[in-house]
Amino acid sequence: MVASLARLVRIFRDPRRDFLWPLGAGGAQFGILVAAGLIYTAVVSGGSGDRLVTTMLIDAIMVVGLHVYIGNTGVLSFGHIGFAAVAAYTFAVTAIDPARKSTVIRNAPWDLNEVHLSVPEATGVAVALTVIVALVVGIGLARSGARSGAVAATVITLALLFVTHEVAVNWPEVTGGDRAGLSFRIGHTLDSRWPVYGTLGAAIVVARLFGQSRIGRFARAAREDNLAARAMGINPAVQQMVALVLSVIIVAVAASLRVYEVGNLTPKFFFFEFTLLTLVMLIVGGRNSLTGSLAGVVVITAGRELARWLSTDGNELFGLNLDAPAVDWILREGLPTIFLGLAMLGFMIFRPNGLLGDFEIDNSLRRLISRRKPSEIPEPEVAGAAAPSVSQEMRGAEQILEVSNLTVDFGGFRALDGVSINASSNEVVGLIGPNGAGKTTLLNAITGVVESSAGRFSLAGVDLTRMPSHEIARLGLVRTFQNLRLFGSLTVGDNVEVASQVAEVHRHDRPRPGIDAVISAAGLWPYRLRRASELDYGNSRRLELARAVAAAPAFLLLDEPTSGMSETESLAMIDVVRRMAGMVGAGVIVIDHDLNFIVGICDRVYTLDQGTLIASGTPLEIQANPLVQAAYLGTEAAKRGDQS
Amino acid sequence: MTEFVQNLVDGLGRGSIYALLALGIAVIFGVMHLLNFAHGELITVSGYVAYWAFTHGASWVWIAPLVVVVSIAVSLAIEQVAFRWVRGAPDFTLLLTSFGVHYVVEATFLMYVSANVKTFNRPDWITRTLHAGSITFELFDIVVIAVTLVALAATALVLQRTMFGMALRAAADDFDVARLMGVRSNRVIRGAFALAGALAGIAAVFWLMRAGQTTPGAGITPMLKGVLAALVGGLGSLRGAVIGGFALGIAEVFLRSRLPDVVTGLTDGFVFVLIAVLFIFRPGGLITVRRAERV
Repeated sequence: MVASLARLVRIFRDPRRDFLWPLGAGGAQFGILVAAGLIYTAVVSGGSGDRLVTTMLIDAIMVVGLHVYIGNTGVLSFGHIGFAAVAAYTFAVTAIDPARKSTVIRNAPWDLNEVHLSVPEATGVAVALTVIVALVVGIGLARSGARSGAVAATVITLALLFVTHEVAVNWPEVTGGDRAGLSFRIGHTLDSRWPVYGTLGAAIVVARLFGQSRIGRFARAAREDNLAARAMGINPAVQQMVALVLSVIIVAVAASLRVYEVGNLTPKFFFFEFTLLTLVMLIVGGRNSLTGSLAGVVVITAGRELARWLSTDGNELFGLNLDAPAVDWILREGLPTIFLGLAMLGFMIFRPNGLLGDFEIDNSLRRLISRRKPSEIPEPEVAGAAAPSVSQEMRGAEQILEVSNLTVDFGGFRALDGVSINASSNEVVGLIGPNGAGKTTLLNAITGVVESSAGRFSLAGVDLTRMPSHEIARLGLVRTFQNLRLFGSLTVGDNVEVASQVAEVHRHDRPRPGIDAVISAAGLWPYRLRRASELDYGNSRRLELARAVAAAPAFLLLDEPTSGMSETESLAMIDVVRRMAGMVGAGVIVIDHDLNFIVGICDRVYTLDQGTLIASGTPLEIQANPLVQAAYLGTEAAKRGDQS
Repeated sequence: MTEFVQNLVDGLGRGSIYALLALGIAVIFGVMHLLNFAHGELITVSGYVAYWAFTHGASWVWIAPLVVVVSIAVSLAIEQVAFRWVRGAPDFTLLLTSFGVHYVVEATFLMYVSANVKTFNRPDWITRTLHAGSITFELFDIVVIAVTLVALAATALVLQRTMFGMALRAAADDFDVARLMGVRSNRVIRGAFALAGALAGIAAVFWLMRAGQTTPGAGITPMLKGVLAALVGGLGSLRGAVIGGFALGIAEVFLRSRLPDVVTGLTDGFVFVLIAVLFIFRPGGLITVRRAERV
């Protein structure tokens, strides 16, 4: 028990930042919502205001549920209201009094009309059944390769929405059919708002803590760049599944509350209109942040009320008596729906990240405070900091990466033809060759990004040939990307931290330098609170490197780490790469076109041309090799030879 | 044998409409990487235009060209008002934008026209049949197939022989490279929406002739069938979309004649499940191969 509790706390890396602050922020937001509701009820007296607030709070629970999945994974789901429908029907069928059921659904199968559960029991059953459905849908989503904005995932969730609707319409023995539906006793309402408060508070706290947990961070990293996340050792399918189940639990409880509050349920209740409403609430405030999602609920509830008011009493606008037929014609019933459609369209066009983007109260406050404080870690000296003796100590046992006869075909084109190389974790190995030689393809193949058609590769005797990217990364091959694949909307610090958290779980027996040390070794300390997408080119390259190092690899695979850098910058990278590889005791395999860099950093160099290996040796041998000169260095080398 | 040929013609007739819609969806996906869930709205709007023209005494001779013109205009207008502003946006934004368009159009008709079904007369030749030996054809199917083939041939000609067509095919293959080669993105995208609008307009004429009615939500079913057909062909492949359309039509008819009634109601929900299953097991479509992501 104690051990499992300890494990639970450990998914929050920094208990203050990831547990106490979010807890406080969640509580504050919950308080604001409740207070807003109470004030509104006090001002607008009468039952309708009361009802509106209750509805808003339940909608807020629903939207928090949506945020947990859509916000963290970036997968656009239309199916959550389908999950809500499953939960709502399960709840209603089990919770409605048998006496009443005997009139509504007399012919229910499996003696369902004799079941009578209390409201909490029925909610529990609803949650359980919905989670089972979610697991099945989640497997389908994972198979389809769900990722941020994936069309496939959206269509699969839409299918769920339509199917639940169709089942509800065509299975009257259980659902009461299209028209009558299911209903609790006449005049029934939720007696007290306490269950709503309790659920909302719990949902907010769970959602916020999930966001700060390791799984939430991994999910957001994969949202930003699925491939890069996998290359760091994250398996996005797992994070997405956890997010899905958690969000579906919240949605299922909200749906049960909603049904109990309304008192009846027809198939069209949890269908398109409600999907539109909750999605608009989610995106208007900012789907990526909990604060934004809740703000959206308030804004849209108010906007919709205004639209409803305009459609009935709009001609009395501002005290003017605009009782013209034209005004009546424009402001009529249906205005709330078109308001929602226009809000969705308008926000997607003008502000796709919503009003608040990824603003989160606790993060912003914390950053504000930490900015005021002088930074505790001084900028390390860049020059002469490489200390080979230190790094030698940190080195684990030597590991060998062996690639034999690797072949990669793209359709009819053989990009890599039986290439064999090997590298030790104690050396820096260069891969050079003209464009199209197959260097990046080789890197892609041994990191599981493209499939090889023949040959094998192994690390320290472990065959990696058919493994998925994330498992290869966990075993110690971590790469950077030629065309920069950072987690754009995460901060520089978070980019490094995500990789380091993967290492914490999967590479705990390796030397793991602190996050701050990695950031400052890469020269990124001043930028640690910036978003990665705001960095310039050179710093982006250094962050790619820092993130890979933080994953505690046995081998760093660097794809053109100096591309786009000036000559001085790229020479400085020699030290940076050496020092950072030394921090984790990793070998380096590096692709680059900058020969000074290659000669300066490499112990050995392999040369590829048109998918085959044409030479290998020390940098000097390679430079002298006539085959290499012909294929790659060409006139350039000849010229240099003349000058020297 | 007789039944087989009859079913085949029937299936090709249905498939023609799907092919026209799917081709439009594929063309737009090619230039914008947008799976246009608002494509069916062209049929919704066309339906109300047809109804309006019908109540003003127009016959199908006038309604048909009017519908095509309106469909092109609406397609261009939607591009201008909505999609132009989200070009190059993340897929998440593109998807929600197309749903936003769908909701706004549907809600507009619901609010300012009517939620009720609006009916108009079908052309009187629609039920006529032709006999060839022991085989009976519906005249309507023959007309649909013939017109579709002409439309597809014309489209193929435009795509193969004109500068615009080349630009469009290049853009569908790799939009960024096409732009670097001097293809003007504005013109190509607008052209793509006009082409998709024209094809959807022709499809709308036949869809409405057969249905004889329209509602605010009338566009959903044809949109789904078009999307399914485009997916079968591998999204973005123009030839695949056409083949997917015909394949879907034929499959529908043959399933309907072979399976018991319960199974064959190819409702929206069932179409969606088919799309979902396709996505889960063959994300690259049944016909084309998946293209590797560049890293």
